[in-house]
Amino acid sequence: MTSGIAFFAYNTEQIDYIRLACIAGRYAKRHMPDQPVCLITDSGTWDWFSKGPYADHAEQAFDDVVIAAADARANKRTHWDSPYHSFASDFKNGNKHKVFSYTPYDQTLLLDIDYVMMNDSLKWVFESDMPVAMYHQAEDLIRQPMPLPQQHLSTHGIPMVWSTAVYFDKRHELTKLFFDVWEHVGDHYDFYKFLYGFPGTMYRTDYCVSIANHILNGMGHGELINDLGVPMINMSQHDDIAKINSVDEWVFTVNDRKENWEDTLALIKRENVHVMNKRSLDRHYDTIMGALDG
Amino acid sequence: MDERLDKALAFSKYRVSIEHRRKAKQRRFETMTVVHYNNGMFRADPQTMTFVTALIADGHQNAILIDTKSNPIEIMNLQEFKVTLFNAYFEATNEYSTEIKKLAKARDVRKAMDW
Repeated sequence: MTSGIAFFAYNTEQIDYIRLACIAGRYAKRHMPDQPVCLITDSGTWDWFSKGPYADHAEQAFDDVVIAAADARANKRTHWDSPYHSFASDFKNGNKHKVFSYTPYDQTLLLDIDYVMMNDSLKWVFESDMPVAMYHQAEDLIRQPMPLPQQHLSTHGIPMVWSTAVYFDKRHELTKLFFDVWEHVGDHYDFYKFLYGFPGTMYRTDYCVSIANHILNGMGHGELINDLGVPMINMSQHDDIAKINSVDEWVFTVNDRKENWEDTLALIKRENVHVMNKRSLDRHYDTIMGALDG
Repeated sequence: MDERLDKALAFSKYRVSIEHRRKAKQRRFETMTVVHYNNGMFRADPQTMTFVTALIADGHQNAILIDTKSNPIEIMNLQEFKVTLFNAYFEATNEYSTEIKKLAKARDVRKAMDW
């Protein structure tokens, strides 16, 4: 039996995903040293990074590298860096469900590259006999529930399940079924968009897993897809990293949802956090790596 | 602006930051008291700890407990489970207490953020 942590990283013109994956990978190794870390990337991204000035960072962060081409479907995402700046970028998440075949491990914790683990509170998943688990709830940096569109797929729709962190065990029969349903929903995304009434044009894997969970639960509520137990802490793209106090202690500015000119500060200390503002993470890359090197 | 209002608004912002920190510490405490045992999810709260202690005192070595997701979980070794619960509880309360005391001494936002 093997187990480990996996990250997808497909660079785009706007975002250096593999650089951010180095941060998340180092944090994973820091807090779960027993688990190997796998990077799933395409040959272009890997060639570019492995010949660049940060190549040794990848060696420190990843034990295994799997080369797999990204899905070809066009998917544009508008990213925000504070409430005052936005940019559009390709978002290559179409093959995320294929982690089932890409991963070299029996038990895998798939994390987004902007999910930073500042503690080992997820290590219990590797000792469980769950087939699949994800976060069922999320809160912002000041521990308020997420805005309503991010709690349900539509106003009276099914509850959101977050694909930011996906634990699965390939040895369970149900796991393959779950990933097959995820793929099916992705293949018929427009139909399910109409059926479940979720907004936007961007392909979101959160919607796919939420619908797969709903279908496999007999079109009802249930915990076939296990909950990771506590709410995920989610930074908004309007928030920013203000200061890296130390390796496991970051200060954020939290933008007021209603009054965008107002910010408050929030301290995240030894907690796992989904750093949605990728530019802010990139801006602090050297400081974070310096803190990790101690 | 009226100086009194100016001071009040500055204090108000400080209070908001302190309240966010307090809530964050409370959440961190709650996370630390989560105990995963034999595929069940429990909380190291007074009720669970007291119940397990009572079962042991009554001579039980194993029992079925209902976890926080309402699943029946077989606890084969209550004594071992009790130690796990107590360890989680003490670790969480010690950190919570230290952090709250530190926060109580923070007289401005910079100190509250360990800036």
